[in-house]
Amino acid sequence: MNHTNKRRAVIIGGVRTPFLRAFGDFTPLSTIDLGVAAVKGLLTKFPIAWKEIDSMIWSGVVLPSATVNIGREILFDLGLPMEIEAYTITRVCTSSLCAITLAAAAIERGEADVMIAGGSDSTSNAEVTMPQSLVHKFAPVVLSPKSTVKDYFKLLTKLNPKKDLIPQRPAIRERLTGELMGESAEKMAVRNQIHRKAQDIYAMQSHQRAARAIETGRFASEITPVTLPNGKQVFADNIVRGNTSLEKLAKLKPAFAKNGTLTAGNSSTLTDGAGAVLLMEFEKAKSLGLSPLSQFRSWSYDAVDPTDQLLIGPAISMPKAVHKAGMTRKDIDLIDIHEAFAAQVLSVLKVLGSDQFARDRLGYNKAFDSIDPKDINIHGGSVALGHPFAATGARMVITMANELKLSGQSTALLGICGAGALSAAAVLEAV
Amino acid sequence: MNDYMIQLTKNPIITKLIKKIGLPNPPVELHRNNNPWEERPFNDQPVVIGQMSKTAITKTLAETIAKGGGNPFIENDDDILNIFSEVGHGYGRLPQMLVQGELPEKLTPKMLIFDASNIQKPEDLNQVYAFFKNHLRSLAICGRVVIVSRPPDTQKDISTAAASRALEGFIRAMAREIGFKGATANIVYVAPDSENRLEPVIRFLLSERSAYITGQPINVNNQVISDEPIPKMRPLDGKTALITGAAQGIGAAIARTMAREGAHVIIMDRPGEDIPAGKLASEINGNLLFCDITEPSAGNKIVEMIQKNNNGLDIVVHNAGITRDKLLINMKPDIWDQVLHVNFRAILNVNEKLLSIMRSNGRIVCLSSVSGIAGNRGQTNYSTSKAGVIGFISALAPKVSEKGIAVNAVAPGFIETQMTAQIPFATQLVARRLNNLNQGGTPDDVAETITFLCSPGAYGITGQVLRICGGALIGA
Repeated sequence: MNHTNKRRAVIIGGVRTPFLRAFGDFTPLSTIDLGVAAVKGLLTKFPIAWKEIDSMIWSGVVLPSATVNIGREILFDLGLPMEIEAYTITRVCTSSLCAITLAAAAIERGEADVMIAGGSDSTSNAEVTMPQSLVHKFAPVVLSPKSTVKDYFKLLTKLNPKKDLIPQRPAIRERLTGELMGESAEKMAVRNQIHRKAQDIYAMQSHQRAARAIETGRFASEITPVTLPNGKQVFADNIVRGNTSLEKLAKLKPAFAKNGTLTAGNSSTLTDGAGAVLLMEFEKAKSLGLSPLSQFRSWSYDAVDPTDQLLIGPAISMPKAVHKAGMTRKDIDLIDIHEAFAAQVLSVLKVLGSDQFARDRLGYNKAFDSIDPKDINIHGGSVALGHPFAATGARMVITMANELKLSGQSTALLGICGAGALSAAAVLEAV
Repeated sequence: MNDYMIQLTKNPIITKLIKKIGLPNPPVELHRNNNPWEERPFNDQPVVIGQMSKTAITKTLAETIAKGGGNPFIENDDDILNIFSEVGHGYGRLPQMLVQGELPEKLTPKMLIFDASNIQKPEDLNQVYAFFKNHLRSLAICGRVVIVSRPPDTQKDISTAAASRALEGFIRAMAREIGFKGATANIVYVAPDSENRLEPVIRFLLSERSAYITGQPINVNNQVISDEPIPKMRPLDGKTALITGAAQGIGAAIARTMAREGAHVIIMDRPGEDIPAGKLASEINGNLLFCDITEPSAGNKIVEMIQKNNNGLDIVVHNAGITRDKLLINMKPDIWDQVLHVNFRAILNVNEKLLSIMRSNGRIVCLSSVSGIAGNRGQTNYSTSKAGVIGFISALAPKVSEKGIAVNAVAPGFIETQMTAQIPFATQLVARRLNNLNQGGTPDDVAETITFLCSPGAYGITGQVLRICGGALIGA
């Protein structure tokens, strides 16, 4: 272990599964299965001796209640050495970025030399739970060894079919405000005067760019094929609509408010997928004969008020991350922002151009920049590719790290918003 | 709430009946907010802003509204729209332009603001008239009207001073007209070089915490020297407040409200009030101090207690007071003296001692009364004492402003308390109605106002008497 010189955490590379619309071909795969596919693909692409792996940090948003530490289960299913420790985190949509930067921090601190970090989500397998009142009524009877058949019959008479037997439909709803995330985004669209047309234009841009990236094979080296239980192999993302048009998008009905502007077309959709990244200490990578691809110059994790523009956080995190890196806007070559909703991205861009915002919320003299929506997300984003919650951060890191190498540019700024009004940003640098 | 008429209005059948018979409108139940101060008190409500042209305070108004969570509507003026756009851009509160002064259909503004700070001559008043003539009808229930202008006595030009003063009459009359829907109208006179002290005052006036203040002028100036940060929430965090007569009524409400906003409260009252005071102390985690304020050693006792337990004193509220009503011709010497002693002399004596332990950026608030301003039959003793209190704060304010201490008085009108419950029933019935809002105020109305005056953001207000009277018909 490099204890003498300053330790550097570098990204060797990453791999993701195809991102499929929920309730499609990935339905029989649990989040653990998807994670297994991603990590297996990672270790196929970077064949290191398994004994070199120190630990893993995995992440998920829809976590199965019976096995919350899915990272550890992924290791078991892959047959990796049991001595590799693994923990699982959740930081809503910023989860895998968070897992990856936690791994980088651990390597820098000397806790490990080789780590795997990533995230997976199977939205198709979100648990639908029975009301808790059912558990409260059943548990005393079921857990008592003295219960008789008569006790069970009595239990049935005490049940209220409406309150105890009807499961709750899962929804992406803020506990604090009771709002669906789409409703919050709808409010942001109104507050920032982001019109329907602007949202549809942006959504179309995302789809067209993602489609071109797929056609030109840009994602080929980043995606690992997944074999389904029935033997079929899945190779590609299936949500992208390269042939979409403004007319088609305009026909869609508002999804979150009467006379609203957000539709299924300009919002990200429920998706299944996973992504994994391999990180190492710089000297260790060299000793294993691997070339580093990228490293983190900085990151910033922040929170804003959920009752006042739930998803505006990236407008705080992105300038902060750049500032922490000792850089300015001019030093950033590529910008990649997670597209929860076109309206949310456009709101963030709008606010990033406000001097007042920079002064009052960040304490900087001038706005970050007036960014044209065309100048971000060069290969499309979550609106087109889908958003398996915990895998999105990994997807962005992998694509941007590769893009820096392919294009010869130096820096990329990533920004992600999340439920609970959390946000994250990171500055990646080519090595 | 002893006000049966407001209870009646909650019954839809009765309100229909009242309308049908043609009886006058019963009072509207005021929208009040007695929860902790929040980041955005304006609750996404529409705010219509009018002005003659861009002024030194346009940006401040834009920031106040954007930060407060209001949605601005600007009357035809591109300059103003640009300023509000630039500010609103950062808060997601982009302004909308009113075309030809027409409000969008079904829009009932909750707040109407007119920036008259650059008024020059009486002819300019026509623009104020035009704005309100156009929009006042659509003001929402419990809406707010605020006009901002310059204090007449700071204007060198005679016609400017006169026009500025005229606005006070305008507001007072308007307040009488809109009170029936629970709406209030006030004017803020902001002195030159004091524009940066305006935001917290306007925030308070436009919020639901100023529900019982209407028809009043408030002066904002830069006499008080202070550079304290101005938090939007928990403004009294870390402050120690002494409240006299805090066991019950208005005093207890003040104690609760200040504790809610983070203050450490010392509840002071006579030993006879030990039970209610004790309950209150455990409720708000405050300290107790039992002492008769008329004792000569009262001041020393208080200082001793505070020095033992705390580092000093930030806030003093002289709330303890009594009434002993009698026509002067029948008023025995002991009744005269009791009231003058408790309500007036004791305050001067005690306050002198307290000044020695008051920290900088402190606040002193005295409870005066509408009776002290306008007089009241049977209250020569009370009115004398309450007017004396006004004289006291006026004289004291300039002497302590260098230390950052602001000194003010509030003059409540008819507030529903134990004290007013003892007024003869028939008198009560009538007294309650003799104001713009057609109802009595609550102890919380007084408490919220005093809490505001004691907050860091009120450092622009000193030496003033702020009436909390619902626009009482008597006095000025």
